[in-house]
Amino acid sequence: MSPLTDDQRRTLARIGDELIPAALGMPSFTEAGAADAMTDHVLSLRPELLSDLQQALDGIAADEAPAAATARLNRDDPEALGVIGLVASSAYYLMPGVRAIMGYRGQEHRPAGEEEEHDYLRDDLLQPVIDRGPIYRDPGAG
Amino acid sequence: MADIAEVLIIGAGASGAVAAKHLSEAGVSVVCLEQGREVSADEFYGDKPEWELMSQRLWHPNPNVRGLPTDYPIDTSESDVNPLMFAGVGGSTLIYAAHWQRFMPSDFRVRTLDGVADDWPFTYQDLEPFYDFMDVEMGVSGLAGDPAYPPMTPPPLPPLPIGRIGRLAAKGMNDLGWHWWPAPQAIPSRAYRGRSQCARRGTCMQGCPEQAKASTDLTHWPDAIASGARLVTGARVRDITVNAAGLATGAVWIDRDGVEHHQQAEKVIVCANGVGTPRLLMLSGGGQFASGLANSSGLVGRNLMMHPYAATVGYFDEPLDSWLGPAGQAIHSMQFYETDKSRGFVRGAKWNAMPTGGPLGMRSAYGGAPLEEAWGENLHRSTQKRFGHSFEWGIIAEDLPDPENRVVLDDTLTDSDGIPSPKIIYRNSENTEKLIAFHLARQKEAMEACGATSISTTTLMRDCGWHLMGTCRMGNDPETSVLDQWGTSHDVPNLHVLDGSTFVTSSGFNPTATICAIALRSVLHMIETRAEQRTAS
Repeated sequence: MSPLTDDQRRTLARIGDELIPAALGMPSFTEAGAADAMTDHVLSLRPELLSDLQQALDGIAADEAPAAATARLNRDDPEALGVIGLVASSAYYLMPGVRAIMGYRGQEHRPAGEEEEHDYLRDDLLQPVIDRGPIYRDPGAG
Repeated sequence: MADIAEVLIIGAGASGAVAAKHLSEAGVSVVCLEQGREVSADEFYGDKPEWELMSQRLWHPNPNVRGLPTDYPIDTSESDVNPLMFAGVGGSTLIYAAHWQRFMPSDFRVRTLDGVADDWPFTYQDLEPFYDFMDVEMGVSGLAGDPAYPPMTPPPLPPLPIGRIGRLAAKGMNDLGWHWWPAPQAIPSRAYRGRSQCARRGTCMQGCPEQAKASTDLTHWPDAIASGARLVTGARVRDITVNAAGLATGAVWIDRDGVEHHQQAEKVIVCANGVGTPRLLMLSGGGQFASGLANSSGLVGRNLMMHPYAATVGYFDEPLDSWLGPAGQAIHSMQFYETDKSRGFVRGAKWNAMPTGGPLGMRSAYGGAPLEEAWGENLHRSTQKRFGHSFEWGIIAEDLPDPENRVVLDDTLTDSDGIPSPKIIYRNSENTEKLIAFHLARQKEAMEACGATSISTTTLMRDCGWHLMGTCRMGNDPETSVLDQWGTSHDVPNLHVLDGSTFVTSSGFNPTATICAIALRSVLHMIETRAEQRTAS
């Protein structure tokens, strides 16, 4: 069962596209497909957000322009704007298509090979530090 | 549970685990009461797409944000900094970054060298063998020869690669002639004692799904249990009991069904961290100790130190893979660690060069931007600028002990068992503010030297109290300290504290290596002098 009504989801889509528009080679919130199943997935993992999100969306009239609504919330109810933004951006950056455009494969399993170790010794990057010698204070030295 | 334990340990985190392992391996009967539960690696989100989303709630380090029944809420309304912690088997090592830093020799002689705070009741040289021992038990990766320290035994594993961010940061430091070194970490660069090689997921601070990072649920508890230690989870202690002779006799604890129990013991060791330990001592003792147990000095709960954290982020044109782990640090610097009074303050800080995480911005604690900067086209612009193209120089700022910075019992707030919560009263000192301002200015120079196209700074991150220290300080004088150099109460000879509460000063380093080394030193002393100790039996 969907956690949002059709009206709430339409409002989320409108405000989501205002917060996350198509620009700089990135799709908008709805173009990325983040307004539907992924939003529901976010809310299933963070159920404590649902009530505040529903209340925030219900406070936006269907005929209120998205730019005017976000400006109003930012001025009068920043917590409501915050929860909409958190849910929308969380869903957006979880979309595989968005991650593919960004070149982000998630937090990768990428154990280091031994050839990656000690490169600063091979190319002497660390040598100036070694050459300068100790920098600690010895309390026994007075 | 009518049995009398030879030793009762309260808290199964870093110091509790070290104590349980070594005591049980020496044949001592041990019971440990832990209010949290065991956590399995598949509960962590680091290997799942939703990692950042869950880091903001379920795996947030602030117990007030998590709000779990195993946490106790904390009143922070009079604190500049929020204390961070995790209750469970392994404690906060489950979510620490595993910076494995020794204190410097000067850290133990702050009064002698700088005329402030107090000297510790032992020296760096006294603690050094225990640092060496803990390096092996935890499986520390690092490079010997750091000129910021006296010569020391090499750690058991080679250092983790410093990666693109480490190399870039290092080049800037070299241009300025400043110190840096590959960072020591309790994270294995090779498979080690049943733990995996670090997979560099960069999610150390929300739990390691690879079972690589050295958390004490992996490094110590299996050995302790195999040697006979009894670990009771879901056991919230509300009172350390004492007899007419003023000796500890055990503790009253509450199970998850709300049933009270009394665990009898010949000795009690409290390992509940720098907030939980003074809270429990203030709750204990009944009418026999009006100001709380072990508190004839009046210093239980006072001198809280939490390491205010500030940071500088540099943004770069070149790709840096800056979501790649380990999360904590690639390189560190102690260039400005030691006191130079010409700077207008005493003491200093360690710097750590760190990755900046995923696209959602796990570092939400760094503060929000105005509407027009945070959203719209600028969301994409700022994400493209930061994500994969930035790193952070962090500052672990030494805060000096101040008796007005303290833990007290809250008048109204309680945990889920109705036990009074702690309240934190904590303000940054003028010395700390000058220290942070100086270090941020130097970090800006370091970022410029390595070619940052832009730089941002955070002067104080509120959610930064990972290091909880000083609230039951050690010392030789019972009038000015709570514990002796072995962590034994001056007032109650069979009551001991082994966590960060014991610290006399905070240093400018992440404290877990020192917490564990002190715990080991104290426990081995306890074993050696077993026959001479007073007990309640």
